[in-house]
Amino acid sequence: MKKRILTALLASAMILSAASCGEKAAEDTTTTAPAAGGDAAATDAPAAGGDAAATDAPAAGGDAAAEEGKVLNIHAWNEEFKGFFEKYYAGTKPVNAGADGEEGTADDVYYDKAPGIPEGVEVVWTITPSDGGAYQTKVDEMLKAQETAAADDKVDFFLAEADYILKYAGSDKTLDVSTIGVTQADTMYNYTAQAASDANGKMKGVSFQCCPSALIYRRSIAKEVIGSDDPADVQAALSDWTKFEEVAAKAKDLGYYMTASYAETYRTFSNNATEAWVDADNNLVIPGVVKEYIAQAKKFMDNGWTLPDGIWGDEKNAQMFAGGKTMCFFGPAWYYNFSMGNAQDPDAGCFGDWAICQGPQAHFWGGTWLLAATGTDNPTLVADIMNAFTINEDICSALVQNEKQFSNNTTVNQKFADDPNYGNAFLGGQNDTAIFVELAKNIKFENSTIYDQLLNEGLPGQFLGYFEGTATEEEAYAAFYQYVNENYPAIVTP
Amino acid sequence: MAKTREINEEVKAEGSKPIIGRILSYTFLAFITVLCLFAFYMLIINATRSNAQLQAGFEVFPRENFFNNFKKAWNDESIPSIPRALLNSFTVAGLSSLLCTYCSALTAYGIHVYDFKLKKPAFTFIMVIMTIPTQVSAVGFIQLLYKIDLMDNYAPLIIPSIAAPAVFFYMKQYIESVLPLEVIEAARVDGSNEFRTFNTIALPMLRPAMAVQLIFSFVSSWNNLFTPNLILSTQSKLTVPVVLSLLRSKMNSQMGDLGEIYMIILLSIIPVVIVYFFVSKNIIQGVTLGSVKG
Amino acid sequence: MKKKSISYAKWGYIFIIPFFLVYFICSIIPLLSTFYYSFFEYYENGLDVIGPTFAGFDNYIALFTPTKSGNIKLLDCTYNTMIMWIMGAVPQIVVAMVLALIFTSTRLKIKGQRFFKTVIYMPNLIMASAFAMLMFTLFSNVGPVNQIIQGITGETFNFFRNTWSARTLVAFVNFLMWFGNTTILFMAGIMGIDQSLFEAASIDGATSTQVFFKVTLPLLMPIIVYTLITALIGGLQMFDVPQLLCGGSGDPNGTTCTLVMYLNSFLSGYRNYGMAGALSVILFIITGILSFIVYRSLVTDESKGGKK
Repeated sequence: MKKRILTALLASAMILSAASCGEKAAEDTTTTAPAAGGDAAATDAPAAGGDAAATDAPAAGGDAAAEEGKVLNIHAWNEEFKGFFEKYYAGTKPVNAGADGEEGTADDVYYDKAPGIPEGVEVVWTITPSDGGAYQTKVDEMLKAQETAAADDKVDFFLAEADYILKYAGSDKTLDVSTIGVTQADTMYNYTAQAASDANGKMKGVSFQCCPSALIYRRSIAKEVIGSDDPADVQAALSDWTKFEEVAAKAKDLGYYMTASYAETYRTFSNNATEAWVDADNNLVIPGVVKEYIAQAKKFMDNGWTLPDGIWGDEKNAQMFAGGKTMCFFGPAWYYNFSMGNAQDPDAGCFGDWAICQGPQAHFWGGTWLLAATGTDNPTLVADIMNAFTINEDICSALVQNEKQFSNNTTVNQKFADDPNYGNAFLGGQNDTAIFVELAKNIKFENSTIYDQLLNEGLPGQFLGYFEGTATEEEAYAAFYQYVNENYPAIVTP
Repeated sequence: MAKTREINEEVKAEGSKPIIGRILSYTFLAFITVLCLFAFYMLIINATRSNAQLQAGFEVFPRENFFNNFKKAWNDESIPSIPRALLNSFTVAGLSSLLCTYCSALTAYGIHVYDFKLKKPAFTFIMVIMTIPTQVSAVGFIQLLYKIDLMDNYAPLIIPSIAAPAVFFYMKQYIESVLPLEVIEAARVDGSNEFRTFNTIALPMLRPAMAVQLIFSFVSSWNNLFTPNLILSTQSKLTVPVVLSLLRSKMNSQMGDLGEIYMIILLSIIPVVIVYFFVSKNIIQGVTLGSVKG
Repeated sequence: MKKKSISYAKWGYIFIIPFFLVYFICSIIPLLSTFYYSFFEYYENGLDVIGPTFAGFDNYIALFTPTKSGNIKLLDCTYNTMIMWIMGAVPQIVVAMVLALIFTSTRLKIKGQRFFKTVIYMPNLIMASAFAMLMFTLFSNVGPVNQIIQGITGETFNFFRNTWSARTLVAFVNFLMWFGNTTILFMAGIMGIDQSLFEAASIDGATSTQVFFKVTLPLLMPIIVYTLITALIGGLQMFDVPQLLCGGSGDPNGTTCTLVMYLNSFLSGYRNYGMAGALSVILFIITGILSFIVYRSLVTDESKGGKK
């Protein structure tokens, strides 16, 4: 009996491994060239859009990159850009595809101006979530192996975030994109080019978005607490931190929380720092604004004005449902489009009950850059993609119109800001682009170091014990220094 | 043996208070059962609820989204394919558990049955290394894999299971108690070669221990996140725990679907439960079998 | 017999060669290189690699240097690991022993054994990460347990922000995952004991308590030693459950941070081969000492118990 099971197990395991070897070549990709993808979608959905994509797509970019590599390797830490890429560049994903990726319905509409991927080129995405720096480790690994990797395994471009773009842009692992035909366009926000440039001013990539961050508030709660849900009134009531605290106290009396996380306001302070985290001799410097944040968070926790949850915590996220008791969140366009899924939930969400204003402090948060990797075997394609998402006004308009992004194209953004008929239904019809156009003027991308990601992500958590009263401030600092030592041995802590 | 048992029971039946003992035992068992099954119950219930329902709080009764969640989990194109990951996990766990149990028995047999100069040092050595956490050598292992170009490969997940000190130790203990050296002597007299003796005479006697360790090692390989997470990178090669952790951390920064996650956990458990049900019968049989030989 | 087996000595080597060969390549070489680099300053900084520069015992000294607030994280982590291990392992072994006795008792004649045996092992089938996720849902501030607590007291209790409740939960998950496994091992051990010994004992009029302490327990010692040592290894490796339940730095205030979590902090993100190596050596030494103690004390007990 036993023997038979063993034999069966062994046999099936062998078959499986054999099968997996055989299929490997065919299944290594998550996305295939548009020719295949488009057709498949077209058969699934005989509607007009499908065919258009299938026929249009390969034609455009076709010959340009004929001589180049057959595999386009892209690294990312989440699905955000992948979705935009598949919808508006590859044309393989219907533009009306929901967040849950359901496709193949009869109403599928494909973006008919998608440039498409050259025939025979395969797009391979590698998604590594950024938890605890895992994404950076992954990209580092790939970039270090770049020289010896086979052409088809070389990273072509990868995504990087504001917190660590300096590390890559400043290194020789990224390519000066002016050599492949990408230059800083007049329509780009200056800081996005500056952030992607090395010390000599050579630009290594572009961003497809600009990320001024706003105060996102629940209209219904604001009405109760402030007496109005009009963005101008709310802004007037919350224009500085003193007023913000006054309103927080009032909100508490009415049974609401001002914010849902002790780290909610962290970026409003840290991304306005006037000194870098690390000085010229690699000594850790706690920026003055971060100390201000610590004092504020302590006050908010002591007074019960905020929930004791992390910036990405479940408890905070649950506050975005209709039943939530939290008035304010902070974030850029990507935040409410991409990370406030609960608010958009058809059953339990509160779509339309939101609005944005500048809040007590102008700031920015995050942003996704496309950086070209040195050694890419698809330079033409990479350059074409970068240009498509920055200077192609059709695609940038689609990003604003369909995806509610704030694009990295001032002309397009201005067009929507000036359009009286444009509004974001999620924000109750408010024209968010108009607000962001103003806020974008304040963005200063300064004082960044290669260490920012883990310092910024780690600080609030290390101080939680202090906020709660289970650790002294001294202990919290000690724990934070310890955390810094563990992650960045090069930094000298006090 | 059945007879021995009966006699035993008769003798014991005359002893005192089996009724109270039984009531206590059943109560205890019932309590433990609830404790164990509660997690499964929650898992199944949660797999029937939508993301919003899940985040809204706990519920006792199932909801209507089971097939929705299943469809999402099975077809989600934004993560490595789930059926594929199940297949990968099955390959890795199946091969490594078989190798692990067979080779551990082989080693234990070698050390128990034969007399050779290094016998004692070898045994002591294994006892010493048994307690070394695998994580301790992780850094060096990865560096080695880079050098010999075996990153992103299943071999480093399967081959090291040949050397499983803890499984060896269990086998050694078991062989000591069930395998009289006379049996092997007898086989030698019959002209059986050593390797055959091991396969045809010793192995069948080790069945219960093999079954126990087979399921243990299958489960631990199936559930292993640490090593595959360090080694595998091609999306279509990932095993279930890695995919699950990808999905879980996806929740941290974008819209994720908890219902889908619970469904994937459920899917990832089903194969293990099936293997377990197959082998568990053997374990119980085997355990009884062991007592006869003892 | 001894004479004869000498001629078979080469078979001994042949049989153990695969084990040692694989162990040498997959563990010894990596282990040695890990140890070797523990004496170097060697870490990744951004895209650069600093070192390796020989640094003597600097890494070790750094591990034992107290922080500003006077704590030595290494010692704290050792303490946390041991505490959480003991909190989980004691109930694990006691409950497993009781269950094994219940199942193997010929007097109690428990019905539905197959069912119970299957059930107790099932928690082990769920991967630790998934299990931790379930427990987190259950005990989180918005979870069912807190809904009940809120119903009674009007306030929620944040299980993961209190040292002892967090440690208890970690220990509880470990207990729940592993006691079935231990029960099966104990049962195998008890059933492997020669039935005639029990018969003889009961004919001699021994009570069941006497039978347990005089017959079952001594004969079960090898299995108990095995269980304790494997549990100890598992305990020292404790990682995914606290990592997922309590976050990477072992909330609250690092009181659930285990040794391997500490090690992991040098390996995730930028790798610090030097410090990770030094910590690995210390972990290695701690493991060695503990196993030696457990093994010694129990093996001595065994010989006292009069076996052989």
